[in-house]
Amino acid sequence: MKTTKTIFQDGNHKWVAIVRDPQKPNFLIDTNEYLVTHGGQGLLLDPGGAEIFPAVFSALSSEFDPSALAGVFASHQDPDICSSLALWLEFNPQMRCYVSWLWGSFIPHFGGTAETFVTIPDEGADISLDGLILRAVPAHYLHSSGNFNLYDKIAKVLFSGDVGAALLPPGEDGLFVENFDAHIRHAEGFHKRWMGSNEAKRRWCERVAQMDVDMLCPQHGAIYQGADVQRFINWFDELQVGIVAA
Amino acid sequence: MTTALTSTSATGSKAGVDLLRIVRINEEIKSVVGVAFKINIMALNAIFLAKRAGTAARGFGVLSNELRVFSQDLRDCMASLTGLIHGCVNEVSLVLQDIRHTRLLREAVELAPTPQISRVLAAREIENDRHSARLASLRKQLKRALEDAFQMVELGGVLAKSAKIEAAYGQSFAIPLAQVSGEFDGVVEEIRSSLESLRRSAFFVGN
Repeated sequence: MKTTKTIFQDGNHKWVAIVRDPQKPNFLIDTNEYLVTHGGQGLLLDPGGAEIFPAVFSALSSEFDPSALAGVFASHQDPDICSSLALWLEFNPQMRCYVSWLWGSFIPHFGGTAETFVTIPDEGADISLDGLILRAVPAHYLHSSGNFNLYDKIAKVLFSGDVGAALLPPGEDGLFVENFDAHIRHAEGFHKRWMGSNEAKRRWCERVAQMDVDMLCPQHGAIYQGADVQRFINWFDELQVGIVAA
Repeated sequence: MTTALTSTSATGSKAGVDLLRIVRINEEIKSVVGVAFKINIMALNAIFLAKRAGTAARGFGVLSNELRVFSQDLRDCMASLTGLIHGCVNEVSLVLQDIRHTRLLREAVELAPTPQISRVLAAREIENDRHSARLASLRKQLKRALEDAFQMVELGGVLAKSAKIEAAYGQSFAIPLAQVSGEFDGVVEEIRSSLESLRRSAFFVGN
């Protein structure tokens, strides 16, 4: 079973990271799911693949009433992002799935009806969660061509999807980045290969540098907090991406 | 409530095997449809031959007409079998999907035994039962349709054998008529053998 860790709380406004399942088979990439709650509602960010649904569901249930989930936010279309969608919808068919317009007719292959999907235009959109406004921030081509991060300006948390992701070796799976220089080695190969556009990367860095971010929360690996957020932006800005030797 | 599906891998593999069996049945039916079309052409040629042979081949002409009707009936029958097969493929595919969802929901119930997720699992199991019942019904219909097809082919066999006898009365046309009726008989035997193997398919006998 995955564990939950509250990374931000102000009354009933919470960010909960759902992470690290010791029982997960190694052939499945490890993923972080995040639950944002506000008032009586919850939004699950990148709910994960079908195979890890039991672990995510049970961890989430320990923290929050899953029937109060208003929806899921899918940063992009990959199977590790939202192939569990059909199972979440089986639990609550009223749930909405927020996703880039680009994938609005692709993700329904995982499940859902025409009413399930709320598509986000390229420039982004606000998503209201019981009065809390969350901003879908464009991160196109990083890595998916229709890709969004989710920013909570009250909590100063940016869910960054695959940006900032790291493939951590066994034994180095802390929730927060503790030694940036050591950690970033595990992120470098991932970013060089998965991120396809230097121009898109530059735009993202410029955009995020202007935002007030205390925590940058990727879908794989560890969370950057405090000064490590700016360190990451600087590092990413310098990195040449979209390069394959072959 | 009886649960038709369990989360065991054995159930999943049985559904997978069922799907493979249905695909094979479908391939066999496709080959029978091809052969049935061949009979239609053969019957048409036989009718022309009987016309040329005149009164000596009147009986043969009547049988050729019957064989042509038989070919059309057989194709209709195969079309209905194909429809049933597609229904079975669809249901077995749903059962395969059900098995995966049920397994994952059961794991979720074990890890977080809340009333809500237990209700979702119960609803899933009712849906599983419905798919399994529908598959069982389609399987029965398919078996019945196959039996009907087999009876029809028995009649086709009788027609082909009668045509062989009639060919002997064809006087100067006896040899070409015998050749045509022999081909009829061969083709009908080919269909009979295909249907025999379909009747023995483990999909119907439940092995």
